Amino acid sequence: MSVEKDLETVEWDVGEEGHITVDNSECVDCEEKPCLHLCPAQCFDYQEEREGGIYFSYEHCIECGSCMVFCANDPDRGAVSWTKPDGGKGVEYDLG
Amino acid sequence: MVDFDVIVVGAGRAGTAAAYKLAEHGIDVALVERAKEAGMKNVTGGVLYGDVLSELVPEFPDQAPLGRHVVEHNVRILNEGTSIGISYRDPAILDEPNYTIQVGRFDQWFVKKAEEKGAVFIPETTVRDVSQRGEEVLVETDRTGGDLTCKAVVGADGVNTTVGRVAGIRETVRNENVGQSVKHVIDLDKSTINERFNLEPGEGAAYAFEGFPEGVPGLGYFLYTFESSIAVGAVASMSSLEKYGKQGYSGRGTPLYDLLDRFKELKAVKPLVEGGSTTEYQGILVPKYKYSNLPQRYDDRISLVGDAAGLTLNKGFTFRGLDFGIKSGMCAAEAAIGSDQNQDWDSFGQRYDKLLNNSYVMTEMKQHRGIPSVVENEKFFDEYPAVAREVLEHTFSTSGDASGLTWRQALRSLRKRDIKLRGVLADGWKAVRSF
Ligand SMILES: Cc1cc2nc3c(=O)[nH]c(=O)nc-3n(C[C@H](O)[C@H](O)[C@H](O)COP(=O)(O)OP(=O)(O)OC[C@H]3O[C@@H](n4cnc5c(N)ncnc54)[C@H](O)[C@@H]3O)c2cc1C
Ligand code: SF4
Ligand code: SF4
Repeated sequence: MSVEKDLETVEWDVGEEGHITVDNSECVDCEEKPCLHLCPAQCFDYQEEREGGIYFSYEHCIECGSCMVFCANDPDRGAVSWTKPDGGKGVEYDLG
Repeated sequence: MVDFDVIVVGAGRAGTAAAYKLAEHGIDVALVERAKEAGMKNVTGGVLYGDVLSELVPEFPDQAPLGRHVVEHNVRILNEGTSIGISYRDPAILDEPNYTIQVGRFDQWFVKKAEEKGAVFIPETTVRDVSQRGEEVLVETDRTGGDLTCKAVVGADGVNTTVGRVAGIRETVRNENVGQSVKHVIDLDKSTINERFNLEPGEGAAYAFEGFPEGVPGLGYFLYTFESSIAVGAVASMSSLEKYGKQGYSGRGTPLYDLLDRFKELKAVKPLVEGGSTTEYQGILVPKYKYSNLPQRYDDRISLVGDAAGLTLNKGFTFRGLDFGIKSGMCAAEAAIGSDQNQDWDSFGQRYDKLLNNSYVMTEMKQHRGIPSVVENEKFFDEYPAVAREVLEHTFSTSGDASGLTWRQALRSLRKRDIKLRGVLADGWKAVRSF
């Protein structure tokens, strides 16, 4: 089972504006790029030709908070601005 | 005039327990929740150790949407394809109200119970700021005109607490104090579950696994049985996940969901999980604080409860947070009831902390304060299981060079790894003392 398939089981009511934003000009200096393997919803993508390399899409974020910890709160990184979606928006689990 | 006496932010079990108890005592309370319906944002494993909920809602076993009554606990240590395990059944645990729960369903029921007592539930509302202004606390939300005032706030908004951060009570979560978890809910029919796990109808089993892949500390897996599904997940401390990733296991690092997939393919695991289809994938953080570095959890008129206050205890084979959340919510309610009686809301936070400190939550966290250093000790995940495997192979195998006395094999295995017997005894003693 790949995570793409896993994510097909999840539902969202996607907000109009991103609750998380990534200033990817900060990513140039980030060697490890932990976002690529630590986001459990694969919201971070790497493209060589892009400045900073990182594309970010918030639509399939499962709001775990990991990128707040390893990027927003990390003094050596800080490309991520992290908040929770507006009331009623974002991920909707059934079972939990 | 304030809008409510108390505003509880977050309708997980911690917040709902607080709201329930407050409403029961006639306190004017609002329960503010960002999801459309209670539970929609929430994730657990999980086994609810239900004694404390019985105290608050004695009728819960008959009314709440529960999974199975947990009658068996299993611990398995994996090492290079070997599985060494303990299975524990005991009539003594049959009387305990411990059940598997899916919080998505459970929280909806619990919030209804709090509403029946008189709590006002305000869903679809994300709290953005909380600030004390003299005699009142202002709770700002993302709804136009949705700001509310009250005498005191209970921050029950989970591991990524907004209340704790915007009120400046606690520092933001750091790598070393948090773990990531991902989980699959897999549909399986009832009879398959009963046969596969050797259970009678309604009976449930809980499994904890450690030691895969070898040498990664702070990484564990769990499996819980529900009526007609199982939950299988992985929990890893963020720092080991980041470190493990850096070692470049597969180019840029190995995501936890890949580890979970590989775990499910192991010979010792596959027969337990195969068959059904995955109906839900989830991911969330879990607090991993030690007693010694627990974050601040109160200000004059604000208290933090449950995961927002870092109140979880990971013993490696059990993980507690649901009951700690409920109990800390009850402590916050009791503190507010006291403040109401004395008309002294400025000492609400302090009162809460005192009640919490005297409760079993802090007693247990204190008693088990040594566990984090045991479960983060790499030897327990790599070298010791390898030694155990060699010793057991020597004991059970009748072929090859498996001759001689078992204790000699144990010493041989230790020597091969350059492990000193004194070190083993010291680690063992530390583990025994902390558990
Ligand atoms: C994989 C896994 C397995 C676990 N297994 C077990 C187990 O077997 N046994 C056990 O006892 N514990 C277990 N735990 C721990 C347990 O799940 C948690 O400790 C517990 O759920 C914490 O409850 P809580 O009420 O504090 O927080 P949560 O359940 O996180 O509730 C927080 C609530 O606040 C809301 N909220 C957040 N921010 C805002 C905001 N700004 N405005 C409004 N609302 C907001 C959220 O939507 C949510 O409803 C497990 C945890 C995980 C992740
Ligand atoms: S971890 Fe943060 S800074 Fe580094 S690449 Fe990812 S988003 Fe950019
Ligand atoms: S909160 Fe979690 S799921 Fe969302 S982008 Fe950050 S790491 Fe990914």
